Amino acid sequence: MALLCASASAIFSSSERPSFASLKRTMPSNQSSFLGFFPDLSLVPENQRWMFEESEADGPDIWNNTWYPKAKDHINTEKPWYVVDATDKILGRLASTIAVHIRGKNLPTYTPSVDMGAFVIVVNAEKVAVSGKKRTQKLYRRHSGRPGGMTVETFNQLQQRIPERIVEHAVRGMLPKGRLGRALFNHLKVYKGPDHPHEAQKPIELPIRDKRVQKQR
Amino acid sequence: MNKKEILKLAKGFRGRAKNCIRIARERVEKALQYSYRDRRNKKRDMRSLWIQRINAGTRQHGVNYGNFMHGLMKENIQLNRKVLSEISMHEPYSFKALVDISRSAFPGNKHVVLPTRKVNVSSINV
Repeated sequence: MALLCASASAIFSSSERPSFASLKRTMPSNQSSFLGFFPDLSLVPENQRWMFEESEADGPDIWNNTWYPKAKDHINTEKPWYVVDATDKILGRLASTIAVHIRGKNLPTYTPSVDMGAFVIVVNAEKVAVSGKKRTQKLYRRHSGRPGGMTVETFNQLQQRIPERIVEHAVRGMLPKGRLGRALFNHLKVYKGPDHPHEAQKPIELPIRDKRVQKQR
Repeated sequence: MNKKEILKLAKGFRGRAKNCIRIARERVEKALQYSYRDRRNKKRDMRSLWIQRINAGTRQHGVNYGNFMHGLMKENIQLNRKVLSEISMHEPYSFKALVDISRSAFPGNKHVVLPTRKVNVSSINV
């Protein structure tokens, strides 16, 4: 660990903010705040004192244990809200990006057992696009449970009837199946027209990195 | 004596498995087998979690995990994935420096722009 810290410090010498917290932890410490070589702060010039902040010295060991979020790290009221306009976007590619953001896989604090993702609003859901002949050929099936209770509709018919269900079905298939997945699905809000009732959450534009999500005309 | 130990290990089990010895014995045996297997699985799961976190962290800077690791190996930076994932969460500026080092060592694929496909006009349903 000492060698690792030495090499780490050599690499970080050129970066703006070297992580001195890792250097402090050369002594094996469970909880102790033993800092054998902690320098005297009066000798350090004022503008460099931020480097020696003690905030992590007395706390839990963050470098030897993998971080797990506490309750205050995933409060629903403090999560970001995103809005995306589905006009002429390819259904599957859009749904994939949405699912990634809802699940929280774009964040380095991702944890599979905890809901760390954001909320996503989809507007203009009836204008979502599909390529090829899927508009008339893609089938949506559901079964009531009774014999002979299978209902089959095409993409077109479902879009006339309940257009929100198309986007919801696509995203639900991309979220994990289970208790957490069902809870994540509630973070998706799909609307038919161009407006949504969530202005108070101040949603921002969803960043889509897929280059082929927009349907070419 | 063994009964007492087994029922002690069966605390928190569902239904009769926590109270009745014949069922508890089976469930406790299974639980001990699972814990043996999972002590080995935990190491794999943890590493996979670190890799997912590093992937998310590097993609925020436009580099994917594979290219990032390749660049680090080229520069002979031997930080392990556990530490890298903690850096990506707690020390974002240091992590950005690492990503820049890796990108300069191995540029990787630039954003591959695929040719846009023109769709048949008749199939568009406006």
